Amino acid sequence: MPASDPPSAAEPAESTVGQEPSNANDTHKDAAKEAPKLSGAELKKQAKAEKAARRAQALADKPSGGTASPGQPSPISKGGEGAKGAKTQQKRTPATNVETRNLPVRGASQTTPLPQIPAKEDKTVEFFRHLYKPRRTTLTGAAKEVHPAVQALGLQMSSYTICGSCARLVATLQAFKRVIESYTTPPGNTLTRHLTSHVLSPQIEYLASCRPLSISMGNAIRWLKLEISKVDIYLPDAEAKKGLCEAIDVFIRERVTFADAVIAKSTASKIKDGDVILTYAKSSLVQKAIVQAFEEGKKFRVIVVDSRPLHEGKHLARSLAELGIEVKYCLINGLSHNIKDATKVLLGAHAMMSNGRLFSRVGTALVAMEANGADKPVIVLCETIKFTERVALDSIVHNEIAPADELVIPGGNLAAWRDVKKLQLCNPMYDVTPAEYLQMIVTESGNVPPTSVPVLHRLGNENQ
Amino acid sequence: MGKKADASRPLTPGEEGSTTPPPLAGHPPALHRMATVGNAPTMTSTGGAFDIVETYHRLLAEDPDLTMPVAAIEALIEMLMHSQAVTVMETLDLVKAQSDYLKSRIPNSISLSAGTDLFQRYMISSLKPSSTGNFETVRQHLLTNGRLFVTRAKDARQRIAAYGKHFIRDGSVVMTQGGSRVVGNLLSKAADAGASGGNVRFKVIYVMNEGRNAECKAIVSLLRAKGVPVATISEGAVGYSMGKVDLIIVGAEGVVENGGIISRMGTYQIAQLAKAAGKPFYVTAESHKFVRLYPLGQYDLGIEQKVIDFHTEDDDILSVEEKKFADRTPTKDERMDYFENTQIAKTQTSSAAGAVDFTPPALISALITESGVLTPSAVSEELISVWY
Repeated sequence: MPASDPPSAAEPAESTVGQEPSNANDTHKDAAKEAPKLSGAELKKQAKAEKAARRAQALADKPSGGTASPGQPSPISKGGEGAKGAKTQQKRTPATNVETRNLPVRGASQTTPLPQIPAKEDKTVEFFRHLYKPRRTTLTGAAKEVHPAVQALGLQMSSYTICGSCARLVATLQAFKRVIESYTTPPGNTLTRHLTSHVLSPQIEYLASCRPLSISMGNAIRWLKLEISKVDIYLPDAEAKKGLCEAIDVFIRERVTFADAVIAKSTASKIKDGDVILTYAKSSLVQKAIVQAFEEGKKFRVIVVDSRPLHEGKHLARSLAELGIEVKYCLINGLSHNIKDATKVLLGAHAMMSNGRLFSRVGTALVAMEANGADKPVIVLCETIKFTERVALDSIVHNEIAPADELVIPGGNLAAWRDVKKLQLCNPMYDVTPAEYLQMIVTESGNVPPTSVPVLHRLGNENQ
Repeated sequence: MGKKADASRPLTPGEEGSTTPPPLAGHPPALHRMATVGNAPTMTSTGGAFDIVETYHRLLAEDPDLTMPVAAIEALIEMLMHSQAVTVMETLDLVKAQSDYLKSRIPNSISLSAGTDLFQRYMISSLKPSSTGNFETVRQHLLTNGRLFVTRAKDARQRIAAYGKHFIRDGSVVMTQGGSRVVGNLLSKAADAGASGGNVRFKVIYVMNEGRNAECKAIVSLLRAKGVPVATISEGAVGYSMGKVDLIIVGAEGVVENGGIISRMGTYQIAQLAKAAGKPFYVTAESHKFVRLYPLGQYDLGIEQKVIDFHTEDDDILSVEEKKFADRTPTKDERMDYFENTQIAKTQTSSAAGAVDFTPPALISALITESGVLTPSAVSEELISVWY
């Protein structure tokens, strides 16, 4: 795939030049064709086209991320940005036709829109258009208030170096601890009123610009803000900071570390001799549970189902195999065959919605559906910190769209997809699994059916 | 807050596969050191020889209306009366050890464990060190309150019947199964309502269970005595009869965490047929039958059931060992043993008769409990509020 090699400064310009005129011609031609007839249907079509154009225009006019809809080749003035994004994202071999297209998303946010021909074909998928967000891959343009620890973390997140809902949550809280440690209340202010709005907010904003915040991060940040607001105004700075840092430590320990241990234990107790555990992609919690069961001396096999483009399951399969567990690795297209061998399906979660639905890596719903069809119990492992009061009916309203180029195999048939008219690629990160497919959710406060998610969520919030 | 205690609670590997629920939140770790399942815990402090298993069986035999969890609680209370434990820790230890012992001695301990768990939970909350300092007063309080619990549990059946009778409308045909006392109570209450000037006339289709003919017949003749037309069918005729049925009411041995029920063998298939026919399937259960157990399927109940038993020989009753023993001419001093030994033929029939199956929550329309009519998902809510 061409996008992965460090694009030289010239490339983007080339690609835009090479691509846009043809698109512009298309639209002109269309307009010309439609103009004379003006039947009812045609009028409607025309109005729709105009509206779309207006929308595109509005998008382009936006000051910060206007050009950043990932579909458009972002004009990158500094070659370094693209290079970084590409390198960290996935290793791809350089392809032959370099100048056809450019790495789209990462680093697009801070570039100022070049004067472009607006009628460029929108490569974003219509249903998901509201989800396309540029990802920051460099520090350029970051607010000066952003703490170095947070800066580094943001980049690690956008490059998937730190990946996974809980890992990101812990890393964020650790970084915020550093922020709080290096904070001094300016004269004439109090920590309670100043810290959240003037110091924490820019950090959060920056992190969100690197990659959308996970739901668990949102929960933790809400908790932290509440905790800061509870600090006594007259408390000396040093003590207040110490108290906050300790609170963060306790929070991580209780809601993540201990929670993980408890979940791993109770899941391991559900794994019996002779079981065949099927899991999808990689969840650190599933891994912990499997390792725990193995260490308890259970005899079982594991089937790791994986999918493109992230291939997270490979890491899981390898680390389990290295421990000496019998592992079978297959891609998701081998699922319906392998599900027959399985006795239990263990799934990780990005979040649990209040209507009992599971929000997890894209492909999870498919696995759960197949498992349900084959009458295999589906068990979700999830800390209560990942519970949210929101509900999800589909995976369109709330989701995260990863750069579409991750889907493209370098040098493959799709390598030049941006030049193909009316071809769009869509790479959502998550999907929503209906509650009916889930038999059990293992949390640190017990095993519950999906219908009890709001109850546990409420209890967890009351306890805080 | 309970979260912390939960997070740090120790889970012994020994509970894997048993119906013993994970140790209670808030338990001090000392509680686990005595839990040696299988050996009768030595009760040096009790003086007299008190056997909890025997007490449990006696209580059940004495009062046919007693359910297993309540009998277990009553046995534990009796045990407490005998005990001379002087500290809170000692008492908790004792109760835990005795319940584990009791559970290990009863073949199907699911229903029973609901009672012992509830009692332990109740003890922990009422024996908190923060309450009155004098242990003896706390103990007395516990004993009197424990009694209260037993009487309340018996009243529960009446309240369930009061709630449940409204489900039976005039002209409806009710299908039921097994010898559940709650169901019998409910139906006779509905029949009483019809007899005392009301206009509820209903019919009952009773699914007879081979292993429990006596219990079933008792309820059938009770209903018939009250003027309720009862048809008895075999288990094979359930699907055939489903078209004539308006609702199904069954009892349960235990209600599990996800709102499913553990009940006599055959309930699951009736529930499935009811679902397929779109008939409402109601379960009556006292809330002390709520168990901390989360089965993922039929074979995950934590108890060993020899329902499916493969053979290549036609020895329908006796195993190879037993056959050898039976075919042999007994020696003189063995004779007593030989003729008195009814155990041989009994083992298998009793295990089949006592067998249970698991009905998942998706097949259940509602659970009628003494605290109201609950949806299956409300059960887990109820359990969460009790346990966390």
